Amino acid sequence: MSLLWLRVAVLLYGVAALAVLPAALYNQPRWRHVAFPAALAGAFFHFVALAETLSAAHHALPVDTHETLSLLGLLLAAAFVILTLSYRTVSFGIFLLPVVVLLTLVPAFHPGHETLLYIHSGWLFLHIGLLLAAYAALFLSLIASLLYLVQERRLKRKLTTSKRTWIPPLETLDQIALKALLFGFPCMTVGLLIGSVIALETIGPAFFADPKVLLSFAMWIAYSLMIFIRRHSGLRGRRAVYLSSFVFLVVLAVWAANQLSVVHRFKAP
Amino acid sequence: MSEIKPNTNLLLLGVNHTTAPVEVRERLAIPAARLADATRTLAHQPGVREALILSTCNRVELLAVYESASASEPSPIAIRFLQDYLNVGVADIQPHVYQYRELEAIRHLFRVASSLDSMVVGEAQILGQVKQSWSVAREVGAIRSTDAFSSTLDPLLQRAFSVAKRVRTETRIGSTSVSIASVAAELARKIFGSLAGKTVLIVGAGKMSDLTARHLIEQGATTLLVSNRTQSRAEAIADALRTPAITTGVLPFEQLHDQAHRADVIITSTGAAASGESAQLFTTANARALLRSRRNRPVFFIDIAVPRDVEAAVNEVEGCFVYDIDDLQQVAVVNQASRSREAEAAESIVSSEAARYAGRLAQAPATESIKQLLQNAEAVRQSELARTAARLASQPLSPEQLAAVDALTQSLTSKLLHAQLTALRESAAGTTAASSPESTGNPSTEIG
Repeated sequence: MSLLWLRVAVLLYGVAALAVLPAALYNQPRWRHVAFPAALAGAFFHFVALAETLSAAHHALPVDTHETLSLLGLLLAAAFVILTLSYRTVSFGIFLLPVVVLLTLVPAFHPGHETLLYIHSGWLFLHIGLLLAAYAALFLSLIASLLYLVQERRLKRKLTTSKRTWIPPLETLDQIALKALLFGFPCMTVGLLIGSVIALETIGPAFFADPKVLLSFAMWIAYSLMIFIRRHSGLRGRRAVYLSSFVFLVVLAVWAANQLSVVHRFKAP
Repeated sequence: MSEIKPNTNLLLLGVNHTTAPVEVRERLAIPAARLADATRTLAHQPGVREALILSTCNRVELLAVYESASASEPSPIAIRFLQDYLNVGVADIQPHVYQYRELEAIRHLFRVASSLDSMVVGEAQILGQVKQSWSVAREVGAIRSTDAFSSTLDPLLQRAFSVAKRVRTETRIGSTSVSIASVAAELARKIFGSLAGKTVLIVGAGKMSDLTARHLIEQGATTLLVSNRTQSRAEAIADALRTPAITTGVLPFEQLHDQAHRADVIITSTGAAASGESAQLFTTANARALLRSRRNRPVFFIDIAVPRDVEAAVNEVEGCFVYDIDDLQQVAVVNQASRSREAEAAESIVSSEAARYAGRLAQAPATESIKQLLQNAEAVRQSELARTAARLASQPLSPEQLAAVDALTQSLTSKLLHAQLTALRESAAGTTAASSPESTGNPSTEIG
């Protein structure tokens, strides 16, 4: 049954991803009334699917690459909903919703063939959830910084008319970028701390010699440096995009390192 | 002139910026403080059932519903009201007055509420002004509540608000602004989003900078600084723009570069280069220093001086946005063209909505008659059934027999009424077709 709800969610995300294009790019307000409710309903069914999966596995979380990606998709969909409600802009949906569709499409229609690792520990679930939230926040911050760059260029080149465009104002984008980072940072810090404590208890100090784990700490340092620089020098525009892109690359490397790590894998050994 | 419904008698009469010069509009304008009294007075004119007055700087319009008996003379009554209430000679106003009736009155009202009849097409203020007039008319009893009484104007006004909303939602008519000052304000919004809490600095003096500052204040800017070579002139400008909602201050001209970082938007209109000064007021070096002090928060230069006060290269500095008068004019021209295209789409929405509403109005009496006829027939049928039941009291019918008699009388009633009901429906449909836009003649009638 959870697969059915997940498929419904993917369908709704797909509708939202398509509707958001005329809503934002062509400034057609009526499509907003399709995009937002569809994304909201998609997130709801996605949540139902997740809850049913948990229930079916007796409150254990089946963890594989697909399931994790699907959870990341749900967090990104939630980010879209929150942004739309807070800033009255659906522009972020142009980037977020297709990613959400991609992240949920495979788990919904081609469920994983990996041997599932069932997690019974709530702490481990929190570790995964918090780190995924940090990744989602970083992705959002990167999109906001890129949009800042586009809007800045349009204003500088006098390409803009005074009518509303799909890109939010510069200060709004800057706020979103910074707030997303400020939200993601504690998530990443607590997520890594929980992971470290669990690793110490289960594997011991050898865990910290793992390349994946070392990269994760490098990611944390890069993340905190980025926030420090942005807050204290008011870094915006091109340099902010370079910085966000660098940290995002580190995050991708950390994600990819799951495949190399011996001690930190989604698959059961 | 189309007649939708002989007993509706909807009349809209007025002057606007296209038919009357400002001298005439000024004489006819009804201040907000007198609007309630004027509306009440109009509503008490002989034969007037409901009334509304819309008075803005660009128009004065009277909208009234007349009783059938006075249908032949509504416009003289309205003209006389203007003459008596405002003490204006009929001869002075008659050449400028237009009037619309029925469908065309509905259409005009929808156009006004949707800002298609405004001087700046698409501006949002007019809808608020129509709502204000409606609210005043309801308060003084000049418009009856839809629920409590049979009102014509209340549902019509509510429909006008829905149509205006539809026009704003389905077209982009409200998303472009055309004046230089409003373009500058809109561009500022693209940089800062809400202007609430933002600081505007005016350097120099001039009507355009004054107007731009006013637009920025209207958009929410809360602090206004003025800097001028002549301190007293700066103080005079600050005083003129001061309102209870904003804080104003004067920056000594010699401290301009040290203090300019306090401003998010800088409007320059000194034309310093024209007065023989070699350097422009803001150079790239000034702009970089300013941004450092602002910790890279963006700053928007609106340079309306000719020759320019801000070096063109300042626009290349990250975080600085410079728009000179030509840039602003270019945006305004593009917006005007775009607005005309949107206006065509909006006109089409208004026309179809007006025709639909007029159709509903025309069918309303037929619907009421049909309802009445059916109610009467049902009352007769029930009474006959009761009489028959009383006659057969000694030998009561079984429930099955009662049901059969009930069905028989229902069927008989329906068949007997069929011809009358069809005639009523056809008559209403015929009236609607006659009132469709294709069958109407000249939309307006100029008096005089």
